[in-house]
Amino acid sequence: MAKSILAFNRTLTPEETRARRRSLVRLGLAWLAMMQVMMFALPGYLRRDSYGHDNLEVLDWAITLMNWISLVMTIPVILYAAWPVWKGTLKAIRTLHVTMDVPVSISMIAAFVPSVYATISGHGEVYFDSVTMFVAFLLTARFFEERARMSVDNARFAREMDALRTPLMARADKVAMWFIVVQLAIAGLVALYWWMVEPVFAIPVMVSLLVMSCPCALALAAPSSLAATNSTLAACPELNPEQSRALFAKTRRITSQNLYGSLVFHLITTPLAAVGLVTPWLAALAMFVSSVAVAANAWRLYRIPATRPSRSAPAMAG
Amino acid sequence: MEILYLLLPVSLLFVLMIAAVLWWAVFSGQYDDPEQSGHAILDDDDTPGQENDSRRD
Repeated sequence: MAKSILAFNRTLTPEETRARRRSLVRLGLAWLAMMQVMMFALPGYLRRDSYGHDNLEVLDWAITLMNWISLVMTIPVILYAAWPVWKGTLKAIRTLHVTMDVPVSISMIAAFVPSVYATISGHGEVYFDSVTMFVAFLLTARFFEERARMSVDNARFAREMDALRTPLMARADKVAMWFIVVQLAIAGLVALYWWMVEPVFAIPVMVSLLVMSCPCALALAAPSSLAATNSTLAACPELNPEQSRALFAKTRRITSQNLYGSLVFHLITTPLAAVGLVTPWLAALAMFVSSVAVAANAWRLYRIPATRPSRSAPAMAG
Repeated sequence: MEILYLLLPVSLLFVLMIAAVLWWAVFSGQYDDPEQSGHAILDDDDTPGQENDSRRD
């Protein structure tokens, strides 16, 4: 019955309502700050060394102001909107069980701390737009995943969804963890190399590698396809076992495509960033494009299956 | 270009205001059920000649 993408087909408990309101505010604030910070980042992207001396002086003055105001707007995103990520990271450290939150917080720190330093010292690139964009996209994916999970009240599917979710999320976490470890090692080694050869390039190259190492697409891979599957289940609760099996098999397939597709994408772009061909803003754009591609691929699952008997399920279900 | 000293704080103020309004709107429950308002007009029982509508004199 529920048609709105934000609607539920059951009444939420007061506890769930409060949790949902909090994540909605976090999401809205992250998007609001992201759009503002992207706007303030524009002068930085327009700057060219070939401009006349007078023009550069005015532009640099404006960029410094914009950096400070971006910093002011990024702090609430980091501290408030991304709070669930920090909480997850603390829990992961306490229980020694690595989750997706750990690489996400490493990436946030890696892009935020050099930006704060660049703002205070007055030279160097800032990546506030990348940080806020990253948080906003991540929270969007999580919000829809949470919403979709809450709206399924059919006990049969809830159990099956749990059985589907746990191994997929575990695999995504593992892939992302290895990915971030390898990326951090590459970023460190490449920065060291540039430091010895041409110190001017060391920081920009390292930051592009770190921005690209934001496992944004990887973080979206499993939740987005699970959310699409959940929405399909919520939209047509009368699926027969065969149809739901086919849907689950397709979910696993699309999650794998997302996971390994974004991995291959990073494998292709990392060498380009290492030799200095990918500037940090291009890295942020690449991160955005890969995330959108992952989300679009996942939403192929959100189709209402035909009511007629479906063709036999592919034999991919484990 | 000194106008930026005025414009940037003004834009920050606007963002704060939007954030505050968003905060109020979400926590006053306006986004709890986006379907409800759309359905309300359909669920309303407006059959004539019945005393189910107390607001009508």
